Amino acid sequence: MSGVAVPVAVPRPRPAAVRWLRRYGLAALGGAIILAWVLAAALAPWILSYGPNTVDVANRLKPPSAMHWLGTDALGRDVLARVVYGARISLSVGMAVVLVGGLFGTLLGAVAAYARGWAEEALMRVTDLVFCFPPIILAMAIAAALGIGTVNTVIAMLVVWWPKFARLARSLVLTQRSLEYVEAAQSVGFGPAHILVRQIIPNAVGPLIVLVTLDLGQAILVFAGLSFLGLGVVPPTAEWGAMVSEGRELVQQWWVATFPGLAILSVVMGFNFVGDGIRDWLDPHARTR
Amino acid sequence: MIRYVVSRLVTAVVMVLLATLVIFLIANTVPGDPALAALGDMQASDPVQVREFRARWGLDLPLWEQYWLFLKRLAQGDLGISISSRRPVLADIIDYAPATLELATIAFLLSLAVGLPLGVVAAVKRDSWVDHVARFVALIGVSAPTFWLAFIMLAIFYGQLDWAPGPGRLDPIAFPPDRITGLLLIDTALAGDWETFRDAAAHLVLPSIVLAASTLGLITRTTRAAMLEALSQDYVRVARAKGLLARVVVTGHAVPNAMLPVVTLGGLAYANLLTGAVMTETVFGWPGLGRYTFRSAVTVDFPAIMAITAIVAAIFVLVNLLVDLSYALLDPRVARA
Amino acid sequence: MADQDEPGFGRRPLMAGAAGMLTSLLAGARPADAQSSARRGALVIGLDISDALSLDPVRVYQYSNPLPTRAAYDGLVTYDAGDNITIKPALATEWSYLPDGKTIRFKLRPGVKFASGATVTAEDVRFSFARHLNIKDQPFQYISHVESVAVVDATTVDLVLKDPTLPVISIIATPAFGIQEKALVVANGGTDAADAKDKDKATEWLNNNSAGAGPYRLTGWQRNQQIQMVRNQNYWRGAPGYERVLIRHMSESAAQLLAIQRGDIDVAFNLIPEQIATLKNDPNISIMGTPSLDFIYMAVAEAPSNPALQNKLARQAIGCAIDFDGIIKNLAGGAAVRPTSFLPVGTNGSTEALTKEIGFNEDLPKARRLLAEAGLPNGFKFQLAYGNAAIAGVTYQNLAQKIQADLARVGIVAELAPMDQVNLRTMFLGGKAEAVLTFWNPPAPENWLWTSATVNRVAKRVVWDVPADMHKLVADAGAERDLAKAAVLYREYQKRMVDFAHHIVLVQPVYQVAVRKSVSGLNLTAAGWMADLAAAKPG
Repeated sequence: MSGVAVPVAVPRPRPAAVRWLRRYGLAALGGAIILAWVLAAALAPWILSYGPNTVDVANRLKPPSAMHWLGTDALGRDVLARVVYGARISLSVGMAVVLVGGLFGTLLGAVAAYARGWAEEALMRVTDLVFCFPPIILAMAIAAALGIGTVNTVIAMLVVWWPKFARLARSLVLTQRSLEYVEAAQSVGFGPAHILVRQIIPNAVGPLIVLVTLDLGQAILVFAGLSFLGLGVVPPTAEWGAMVSEGRELVQQWWVATFPGLAILSVVMGFNFVGDGIRDWLDPHARTR
Repeated sequence: MIRYVVSRLVTAVVMVLLATLVIFLIANTVPGDPALAALGDMQASDPVQVREFRARWGLDLPLWEQYWLFLKRLAQGDLGISISSRRPVLADIIDYAPATLELATIAFLLSLAVGLPLGVVAAVKRDSWVDHVARFVALIGVSAPTFWLAFIMLAIFYGQLDWAPGPGRLDPIAFPPDRITGLLLIDTALAGDWETFRDAAAHLVLPSIVLAASTLGLITRTTRAAMLEALSQDYVRVARAKGLLARVVVTGHAVPNAMLPVVTLGGLAYANLLTGAVMTETVFGWPGLGRYTFRSAVTVDFPAIMAITAIVAAIFVLVNLLVDLSYALLDPRVARA
Repeated sequence: MADQDEPGFGRRPLMAGAAGMLTSLLAGARPADAQSSARRGALVIGLDISDALSLDPVRVYQYSNPLPTRAAYDGLVTYDAGDNITIKPALATEWSYLPDGKTIRFKLRPGVKFASGATVTAEDVRFSFARHLNIKDQPFQYISHVESVAVVDATTVDLVLKDPTLPVISIIATPAFGIQEKALVVANGGTDAADAKDKDKATEWLNNNSAGAGPYRLTGWQRNQQIQMVRNQNYWRGAPGYERVLIRHMSESAAQLLAIQRGDIDVAFNLIPEQIATLKNDPNISIMGTPSLDFIYMAVAEAPSNPALQNKLARQAIGCAIDFDGIIKNLAGGAAVRPTSFLPVGTNGSTEALTKEIGFNEDLPKARRLLAEAGLPNGFKFQLAYGNAAIAGVTYQNLAQKIQADLARVGIVAELAPMDQVNLRTMFLGGKAEAVLTFWNPPAPENWLWTSATVNRVAKRVVWDVPADMHKLVADAGAERDLAKAAVLYREYQKRMVDFAHHIVLVQPVYQVAVRKSVSGLNLTAAGWMADLAAAKPG
């Protein structure tokens, strides 16, 4: 694999720990960030001194202080409490969209690729169709039709979410199909279902995991964006995108919008670090180094 | 080749029509009545006026007839009249599109200008500090919520440091140049009004950086990955074995071969920039298509929604087509396949 | 988010538009820049004009377009800034009801010239009203009880009413009823014929030009960018103080704040209370407050879907459980008043003192008692719908959440339902909403416009079967031409409205407008067109 680094001088050998850190340090950091958010979200009621929806207008828009570490918002609610509770929504929406969309898309793509013929053709045309939709219009139309709310927003996201999984799954299956062990399994007499479930999917799972991890961050980002546009959650539910939106007109009270934005950034970065790490780890060029 | 292009074009048209049909059907399940939102309070309370309004805008026709009407008009290049602005949708779009086109193009060029070299260098000097910085920048770019990044940029560079101008395309007191293309940079240049040109350029800086951020991340990543792939190919090693200089190997062999995936992604990214600028436009008070799209959707402005759907779908389909064609040109095997 | 325009209804002097969070603007603010040459002699106004659909007077009924319309067109009568009760002469010097009781005769001010130089005649007046009557856009609705308009002689014109008990003079003070120059409008496709609804083509031209006798003349409108006007040298009150007026579209309050601090604009209309507070110490800027005639209210419907709301006592309990003072003091930054019911403070018979006396006031024990009497000791649930907008910096969203928290104290559960404008209007106008947070602004300061709305079209929205005596009360008060006697009737009206508890008025904003001290004579008004520009001048 020396070809990779052709133009540069050969790197000095480094201790394994340093090498590991350079390669997987960010992934580990990302994992730690996500773990921290998951813990905070799960333990929210026990680690916070305020509820997320405790309105106290007499203490509105107070800057960060010992009482309210991240200040208070326009209704006097504790920003820290709302940011932490916001993690619950963001993380679960991310999971829901990616898992449901991923599962559905993967199965559809895998089956279509395995079946070939018109089923495959039809599926690919449908994914093409979804890809050429203006996503905002689609989300807004669905929100207008179903009403604003977390579940409806997730539905709108799912509509545009599954095709990329279907495409990836299809291409993976197509690659795998032609590989020797699949032919071997066929010759031994296993049925198509068995081959798909037991042979192909497990072997194609690596790229899927990468996509899922990166996609979790993406889903959180998109949901926050829709919330920012007023399509996400129903108040008073604490949600990061909606919180940024609430703080955007507040000239002096920077804390209202800044902290939820940082929360989004950190979680999405966490997932991206992890996803990148996994990709590197799966990448044969990388592994051999 | 020609048969390939023609068949792709036919598919493209079908795709665009299907997209408009789907949006049309979804939009029609919205329980709200656009007539009530468009009329004044007293008119909206008068059933006769509401009926007249619905008749005037064709909202009382059966669904299939409404859609057929849309198609007929579309075939004649008529996009209908917007319910909420009461002007031809085409006039609205001509008003709003240049703002988006200008912003998206600058942002795209910016992300290419930074992303391509960064990706190439990161791949060539893999695991060096450049590589780490590039990966980090790319990750931040794709991780930061656009709407929040826009706020922070405004807060720091406009509110706090006063290095950049505020929201909008021009200073509040500046006079827009006579409209020729609607692209302020071009119109001011044509008019020789360099003061306004500078103003317009300055107003583009922050929003284009924000808009470029996520695209930059994608381009850097893709370029890096494609370069790594290319550098590991046999011909690079052969070239090296032939004793070619490192620089020549990279620019002469690896880069051209790495461009294929970058072209694909770049095309799609540009289409995304053109159509997905709603957040940036919201925060920067940018009178562009993103805002117009959002407004039309919120007011269930059927003609505008349909027109935008058709246009956006057409952009995507066309970009896809162009990408595939450039593939075919770069790699003749595709055309024959 | 934004952008939901709400034509004619519930719209937003301050759209929850966008950009904000410009941290510590004060620290970063520059001193006013040297003003460019283009800037001199111009009055530059920062305003959100995204709601404007037209500048053709017969189609002006949104929130922001009456301001330029008033600047371009003078009407027969007007209101002076600060007095929304007494009608003042403008293009008409005097008017009176003829003995038949249904004809009002106006004498025109002699020698008044349009911006074009042509003299204002009775025929122009007739044409202007006839165009309204035949085009039948929203402003026509306010004067649909006008039968006809007739020229008596060159300076005398008659307005004949179908129903003489209904007020009209106060209504035609609205900019939409500004007098248009017939020759100019006709030359550009206009008509006042019976088929004007389809045949009139002047709107496109009138969106970019004006044909009026106001202090300024419209010379251009780039949608969502700016409206340009130039001085009318022929103005009958004397040449206006500025060569030009520029109304710059600025949807973001934060951008307006910075622009006025820098001196890029002279007037900022859409600042939120938090921003006003930062301007109080700026030596170059004065804050002018105008009590508006607009208000945010909660409509509570006798919804078929919710038996609890059909109970008057339960609705009253809602009115007793809201922390009104907290809303005004904190959410509205103290820049608001609260009327008793559907008549804003400042109109005949409506004062803040009356609200303390007979209006809704926070009283939790009373709320609990009312709930118990209603047979709902544990409270009840209802759905509270609202749109995505803000009035004077108060967002419906924050207001709804505050009310939700307040009502929870007595066990009433308000389930919030944010909606886009189209669905909200459809539900509300169709009488399908349980409760709605919305906004009311009048076309003209005429009490009858509020009261008749509540017993007619707004009553349908809250599924209220209005008793006959209530209709009579509204009709009597509207027909009463003695202000003092009318005030007594209006007090009774408000008392009854509070008892029915379908409309809980929450906030009547005092609009706070920032004006640079280099501008004088700018008269803010609550009568519907924000400001009179006629007397504004530099220095």
